[in-house]
Amino acid sequence: MKKNDKSNLPMRTIDKSVLEGIVGKDNIKTDPSDLYIYGTDSSVHHAMPWAVVKPRTTAHVQGIMKYANKNLIPVIARGGGSGMCGQTVPIHGGIILDMKSMNKILEINLEDVYCRVEPGVVDDDLNLALEQYGVFYPPTPASSRIATIGGEIANNASGVRSVKYGATRDAVLGMKVVLPNGDLVSLGAHTRVEASGYQLHKLMVGSEGTLGIVVEATLSFVPIPEFRCMGVANFDVLEDAGKAIGSIMASGATPSMLELVDDVAIKAVNKTMDLGLKEVAAALIFEADGMVKEAVDYEINKMKKICEKHNGKDIHASYDPAERAKIFMGRKKLFPALSKYDDDLASTALADDMAVPYSKMAEMAAKIHEIADKNNIVMTAYGHCGSGCMHTKILMDTKRKDQWASAKKAISQVYEYVRSVNGTTSAEHGIGISKAESFKVEKADSLNLLITIKKALDPNNILNPGKLMQAPENWVTATNLRYAVNN
Amino acid sequence: MKTKTVKTKTKKFKHLGKWQDTLANCIRCGYCFEHCPMFHHTGWESDAPRAKIVTAFGLLTGEVEPSYSAIDKMFSCFYCLRCEAACSSGVALTKVFTDARKDLVEMDLQEGPGTTSTTTLQCARCLVCIEECPHEARFYDGKNIATDPSKCQSCGICVEVCPAGAATIEKSFGTSRNDLTKRASIFLQNHESAKAIVFACNWSYYPGLQASVLPDSETSGNDYEILVNMCGGRLEAQLLMAPFLNNAWGVMAACCPDDECEHKGYLNAKKQIEKLRKTFKNIDIDPERIQLVQIPAGNKTLFQAEIDTFIEKLNKMGPIR
Ligand SMILES: Cc1cc2nc3c(=O)[nH]c(=O)nc-3n(C[C@H](O)[C@H](O)[C@H](O)COP(=O)(O)OP(=O)(O)OC[C@H]3O[C@@H](n4cnc5c(N)ncnc54)[C@H](O)[C@@H]3O)c2cc1C
Repeated sequence: MKKNDKSNLPMRTIDKSVLEGIVGKDNIKTDPSDLYIYGTDSSVHHAMPWAVVKPRTTAHVQGIMKYANKNLIPVIARGGGSGMCGQTVPIHGGIILDMKSMNKILEINLEDVYCRVEPGVVDDDLNLALEQYGVFYPPTPASSRIATIGGEIANNASGVRSVKYGATRDAVLGMKVVLPNGDLVSLGAHTRVEASGYQLHKLMVGSEGTLGIVVEATLSFVPIPEFRCMGVANFDVLEDAGKAIGSIMASGATPSMLELVDDVAIKAVNKTMDLGLKEVAAALIFEADGMVKEAVDYEINKMKKICEKHNGKDIHASYDPAERAKIFMGRKKLFPALSKYDDDLASTALADDMAVPYSKMAEMAAKIHEIADKNNIVMTAYGHCGSGCMHTKILMDTKRKDQWASAKKAISQVYEYVRSVNGTTSAEHGIGISKAESFKVEKADSLNLLITIKKALDPNNILNPGKLMQAPENWVTATNLRYAVNN
Repeated sequence: MKTKTVKTKTKKFKHLGKWQDTLANCIRCGYCFEHCPMFHHTGWESDAPRAKIVTAFGLLTGEVEPSYSAIDKMFSCFYCLRCEAACSSGVALTKVFTDARKDLVEMDLQEGPGTTSTTTLQCARCLVCIEECPHEARFYDGKNIATDPSKCQSCGICVEVCPAGAATIEKSFGTSRNDLTKRASIFLQNHESAKAIVFACNWSYYPGLQASVLPDSETSGNDYEILVNMCGGRLEAQLLMAPFLNNAWGVMAACCPDDECEHKGYLNAKKQIEKLRKTFKNIDIDPERIQLVQIPAGNKTLFQAEIDTFIEKLNKMGPIR
């Protein structure tokens, strides 16, 4: 589909007075300067919505959906707007449903071990509320200070501890969802297991706002461990670090965190932060946690030994929170460091979260560097490698048109490799617009199934149209880029 | 690929222009907005720091018209710097805002006052505000007192020192005396367990949830409420006394340590609290019921500990009879 081909979506304008009747005057914005702001997220894309509406109740959401469905107006749910692939960018215009004001933690049920929240609750806030009871909600992405539960569900977010505790999909027990026609349905249950039917609540996880609007979620939580021990190992050869990851995971060890940072990342951190990290080819950060110290010791020692076997150096580990913070600082400061790596290079969210089988981790890391060199751009390899997820960031001069062409080529090559080893296009950030090209190739066999499901739930195609399997082939031209690119 | 080049018109953005790479380097993660007191108050992303960065970019590329509403956004900021502390990409956000303001002022486009302080006709031209403004933003233009909107940091000190009540901040985002007094009384009247109001300056990081709300069952037993005013420099007797009229057991105020305060607000805060404590003593009320603490930016733990100690003290004293 070409950029301006909206043939399957008759373009309609919105009737502001109807929206006002539903949510009230104070909960709508239509000024172009506001719309411009809501046309962007943490991706490279930008497109203008027609209105931004802030529902405060489920009834508001139902009202908006009924109106939009009748008038064939696209509706795009938005949480923190921290998505990295353009999931919230209104590629065909429409109404942005800003869910951040549905922000109540409704219930913390310690007896039945679940909590109920509205979708606009911020992950860090939920964990702060849970902390006083000695429990935590573990899927927590790095963006937890801003990401909302609704956005995490729609993206199936995960984070550093997912290697042990799982992703959002594993923590969602049930939810209430408003369907495109305005109907409210309860999916899942308040129980740990459920065998009845198609598990529609799990289908909603990862649907990127294309099937329904989540208005309430029931989530499980786990006890905060008594002991946490973190270790680090340096490697002179990147492949060795990759091999160590594979061996750790195959050994049956249960790390609560297993992170890789490569030389580009380390250099970037040193350049900007003066942390004095040793400039090696790669470093692994590993953590084990538990209620019994001996058990944690056992896990840590196991991981240390494997690192040693794969030529790891300077290996040490600590229980001390201050020391752990020091070890993790390099990883934590990676984002600011990458953005400041070189004044002319911006850190772009592209091809940033593929996953490959453990045994391919080493090859993948090497491949990223090889592809970057070949295409004359800077790429870094790091990530939650314990769960098979490899992050990259493409550092490029966003003003130069040729850099976009190089980035596009490099990304295609990265994904080609990922698919060739039975990996997957996105491990946690989702597909949105930027990754649709590879997603469609990867899911070629099941694409029709996905389209059938979408049609069954959203026959008028009003929920976040133009994303996932509907996204244009070429992500560079799919929308305006949010950067100023010179000719 | 649709490309954007800086249009001729926007060449006038000579101060903002130098930030073009920075605007690209901002990864638009949104880490800045959860701590923004303006976002906190309205809940609209368009009032948050990221929105201003996006708007600045749009102004520069010509994609955003310098409309009243766009300009008003650029002139609305309390300069509390919480966005910069949270920024994942090390962007000097407020410097970008200030440069955008300079350009807009030079283009004669500062239509909306935003959070800039203004002066009403009641002004007696006593010039006190000019002397007291810590940012040298106020000046006498030969006829009236005026404010340079590219210098004003909306700390509100002029509002407090003006004897004629002529200095105002039109868009106070919930930090005007009226708003604060109202919120204090709503809390005190609706919570049986309510004991204290804590006034925190914009610059201190207060503990607790940032963007979400706890269930009623968890908050109904709260004994204190934190209300964010602009600056310690704005604490004054009427505001500090208001909670006592609603049967508060005590009032605590938090401001920055002496060497961290950008507006010399701590001086006024100390003076005001000391004065009230003396008054309390004279009328036989324990002066410990009103207390000032100085909290370094970001030290939530210290802040919480101070609040806990204060509440403990109040519990021993009981209500004022
Ligand atoms: C610096 C940075 C670090 C990140 N780190 C991680 C990480 O470690 N792990 C990870 O998984 N992700 C990460 N992300 C990506 C992103 O933050 C997460 O995926 C997050 O879950 C998105 O939440 P959000 O509230 O910002 O959602 P948004 O970006 O607002 O929305 C994301 C999707 O959710 C949909 N949506 C939102 N609310 C609802 C609702 N109520 N009902 C239905 N659909 C809804 C939207 O339509 C959209 O498709 C990172 C992003 C940044 C910028």
